[in-house]
Amino acid sequence: MEYIQISIDGILYGSSYSLIALGFSLVFGVMRRINLAYGSSLLLGIAAALWVENKLNFSIIFFIPTVLIFCSLSNLYVERVCFAPHNTKAGVVVSMISSFAIWMQLDEISAQLLPDRTHSFPSLEVSTFEFGELFFRGDQILNIFIAFIISAILFLAVYKTKYGIILRAVSNSADTAKLMGCNTNLVNSLTFIVAGVIGGIAAFLVLSTESQVTPLFGFWCTLKGLVAMMIGGLGSLVGAFWGGLLLGLLEAHLSYQFGPVFREITTFSILLIVLIIRPGGLMGVNIYKDLKSRDERI
Amino acid sequence: MSLYLVTILTNMTLISFIAISAYLILIVGEVSFGQQAFFGIGAYVTATSTALLGLDLVIALFFAFIVSASFALVLSFLTVRLSGLYFAVASLCFAELLRLSLYKVEYTVETNSGTIGPNGPEGFQNIRWIFENNISPENFLIIALSSLLALILFLIFMESSKLFKNARLVGKDQIVAQSIGIKPFVYRVSFITLAGGVAGFGGGLFALFNTYIEPSMFGIMLGVHGLAYSIIGGLGYPLGPLLGVFIDIGLLESVRFLSEYRMILFGGLVAAILIIFPEGIISPRLVSRIKRNLVKKTNA
Repeated sequence: MEYIQISIDGILYGSSYSLIALGFSLVFGVMRRINLAYGSSLLLGIAAALWVENKLNFSIIFFIPTVLIFCSLSNLYVERVCFAPHNTKAGVVVSMISSFAIWMQLDEISAQLLPDRTHSFPSLEVSTFEFGELFFRGDQILNIFIAFIISAILFLAVYKTKYGIILRAVSNSADTAKLMGCNTNLVNSLTFIVAGVIGGIAAFLVLSTESQVTPLFGFWCTLKGLVAMMIGGLGSLVGAFWGGLLLGLLEAHLSYQFGPVFREITTFSILLIVLIIRPGGLMGVNIYKDLKSRDERI
Repeated sequence: MSLYLVTILTNMTLISFIAISAYLILIVGEVSFGQQAFFGIGAYVTATSTALLGLDLVIALFFAFIVSASFALVLSFLTVRLSGLYFAVASLCFAELLRLSLYKVEYTVETNSGTIGPNGPEGFQNIRWIFENNISPENFLIIALSSLLALILFLIFMESSKLFKNARLVGKDQIVAQSIGIKPFVYRVSFITLAGGVAGFGGGLFALFNTYIEPSMFGIMLGVHGLAYSIIGGLGYPLGPLLGVFIDIGLLESVRFLSEYRMILFGGLVAAILIIFPEGIISPRLVSRIKRNLVKKTNA
C-alpha cells in the first residue's frame, strides 16, 4: 500500500514536470534550439504579475491572464534577443549561450521585483480527498488533467490544422518554408509566445500547489523541464508528457529509499543513462538509425 | 598593490583556467557545461594532498591535473556517440553527479590547528598551505599568473602545429576531416582529457588560495561562466578566453556602484556582444585576416 501511495504521489508531482517540458519541447521541435532562459522567463512573468497584483490588488480571475501576458512577453523578449539574430546553422551554440546570459539577467530582474526570499502565491482552494487508504491532492490531479488536455490540444493543433502544417514545415526546413512563402520569423515568434502561454499556465499551477515563489524557481523549471524533455524524447510532445511523469515516479521512489539527496542524483543519473543508451530519448527517434535526423543532429 | 586588487587579479587568473578548458573543448567542436566539476575535483585533490598528505605544491598540482584528466577521459568515453547539444547536456549531468558525490565524501582528521579533510556538505576546511609556507597574496598571484602565462604560451606555440590545425578541422567539419584521414575520435578524446586536466590544475590553485572549499562552489554557474567567457572572447586565438574574463570581471568590477544590477548588465552585454560578433571578438576569421595582412606586408 505504501508503494502505491508513493507511486501516486510521484506521478502527480511529475505532472508539473510534464507541463514545463511541453513548452520546452514546442520550442525545440520548431527551432531545433534549446532555450535555457525558459524557466527564468516564466519566473519573470510570475514576478511581474505578482508585482502588478501587489500594486493594484485585484482578484485571482484577473491574476491568471496577467501571468500569461507577462510570460509570453518575456518569452518574446528572449526570442528577439537570443534567437532571431542567430538563425543560421552556426548559431545553435551561440543562441544557447546567449539564452544563458539572458537567463542570468531575467533572474536578477525577478529578484529585484521580489525582494523577499520567499513570496506567498495565491493557491486554488482544492481539497484533498481519499480513496480507500490512498490520499490524492486535488490540485495535483487538476495539474495532471490540465497537462493531459494541453498536450492533446497541442498534438491536434500541430498535426491536424493548417497552422500545424506551417509549423512543421518551418521545423523540417526553415529555408524551404521561406521559399514557399512562410514568414519564418513570425512563426518563430508565435511559437515562443505560445510556449510562454503554456509555460505561464504550468508555472501558475505548479506554484499554486506549492503556494510560494522562490528565486530558485527559474533554475528548477529549466532543469526539470530539460530533463523531462530529454528523457521523453527531444521535440516529441507526447514524449515530454510521459517523460515528466516517469521522472516524477522514479524520483519519488528513489528519494524514499535512499534519502533526499538522491532526488537530484536520480535526475542526473537517469538523464545520463538515457543519453548514453538512447540519445534520442525514450519516445523520440533513434538518432543513429534515422539517417535524416542524424544529419540534423546539432 | 592593494589587497583588493590582488584578490581580483587572482580570481581572474583562476577563472581563466576554466575559460581555457572550455576553449579547448570548443576547438574540437563540442560545448561542455561540465568543466566546473573537473575544477572541483582538482581542488579536492590538491587540498587532500597538501593538507592531509603534506605533499609539495608541484606534486599536488600534478596529481590534480592527472586525476581530473582521468575523470574527463571517462566522460569522453561515455559520450563517444554524442555531439552538440547531447554532449552539452551529458557533460552537465556528469559534472553534477561528480559534484553531488562530493557531498558524500567524508574523511576528517583532527589536528592542533582544527579539523581538516573533506567533510560532506560542510566542505574541506583549513587548507593551510599558504600560511605554512608564508606565501603572501602577491606571491601567490605571481605563482598563478606565471602558470597561466606558461599555459597560454604553450597554446600559442601549439596553435601553428599540425595537431591543433587538425583539431580545428575536426571542430569545423568532421566529414572533411575524416576524408583526409584524420580520426575525429582521437582528437575529441585527447582534447576533452586535456581540458579536464587544465580545469583541475586551476582548481588546485583555487583550493590553495581560498583555503576552504565546499561542493556547492562548483555548481553549473561556474562552468557556464567559463564557457561564456571563451565564447564572447572568441575561438580564434588562446587570448580570447582571457579577453572574455577581462570583459566580465575587470570591466564590471570597475563599475562597482552598479553592483546590484551587475547580472542584468552582464547578461545584456553578453547577448549584445554575441549579436555584433556572433563568433566572439577574436574570431577565427579575424585572426586569419590579420595573418594575411601580415604576410602581405612582409612580402611587400
